[in-house]
Amino acid sequence: MSTITDQDGRFTPVDPEALRAEVRAKYRDVAESPNASFHFHTGRDLARRCRYDMGPVDQLPECAVESFAGVANPFELRDIGSGERVVDVGSGAGFDSFLAAGAVGASGFVVGVDMTPEMLAKSTATAATLGIAHVEFRDGIAESLPVPDGWADVVISNGVFNLCADKRLAFDEVFRVLRPGGTLQFADIANGRPVPEEAMREIDLWTG
Amino acid sequence: MLEEVGFVDVRIGDPVDTFGGAGGEANARAFDVHGYAFRARRP
Repeated sequence: MSTITDQDGRFTPVDPEALRAEVRAKYRDVAESPNASFHFHTGRDLARRCRYDMGPVDQLPECAVESFAGVANPFELRDIGSGERVVDVGSGAGFDSFLAAGAVGASGFVVGVDMTPEMLAKSTATAATLGIAHVEFRDGIAESLPVPDGWADVVISNGVFNLCADKRLAFDEVFRVLRPGGTLQFADIANGRPVPEEAMREIDLWTG
Repeated sequence: MLEEVGFVDVRIGDPVDTFGGAGGEANARAFDVHGYAFRARRP
C-alpha cells in the first residue's frame, strides 16, 4: 500500500490532485444541474435546514441559491460586520458570498475563491446581474488562496475543508490571509464515529 | 487542528442533520455525520 504525502511531507489519505478532479466533476454538475439528485440537499430547502436567516436568503435570485450545497450556517456564531473584508473559501455559485456582501455593504469587500470553472462562471454572472461591485470571484484552491497576507477581517467557508486531502495546509492558508485578530467562521461536517482507514482511502466516499 | 495552527477562542455550534432525507443519509448515519458551525480567531 503506497503512502501519499503533501508538499510538506505530511500523510494524506488520498492523492490531493485526484480528489480535486473528483470534486470539480461533482460540483460542475451541481452548478449546471442543481435540481438533479445528489447525496446532499441543495438550494433554499437546504438553507432552511441549515438554520439560515431566510430574510436575506429570500432576497437573492434563484441563480444565487439553487446550487447552494453547504452543510450548516457559517454566520450562526457571528454576524458579519459592515465594512469588513471577507474571503469565502470554496465559494461555489456564490450563495454565502452574496449574503456576506449584503452584510459588509459597499464599504466592505468579498473575495470568493473556487476551483470549479462552472461555479466561477455562475457566481461571476450572478454578481454582474445583481450589479454588486464589492464582490469578486477568483480561481484558486483552499491550500493556496489568491489573497495577500493579512488581507481579510473574516474568512468564511461551507462544506469545503472536509474535501481537502490536507486540512492542515488549508487551515495554515486561512491563518495566513487573516489579519491578526481576524475571525474564521465556517461550516463543515464532523463524524461522531471513527471512519476506518480503508474507507478514508476510497476517494469516491469523499465526494459521495 | 485549529489550535495546532494557532487559532484561539474556538467555538462549535449545535449539530445540523445535513444529510437527513438525502441520498447520503445512510453513510451519514453510519458514521454519525452532522454539519456544524465553527468559529475561531487569529490572535
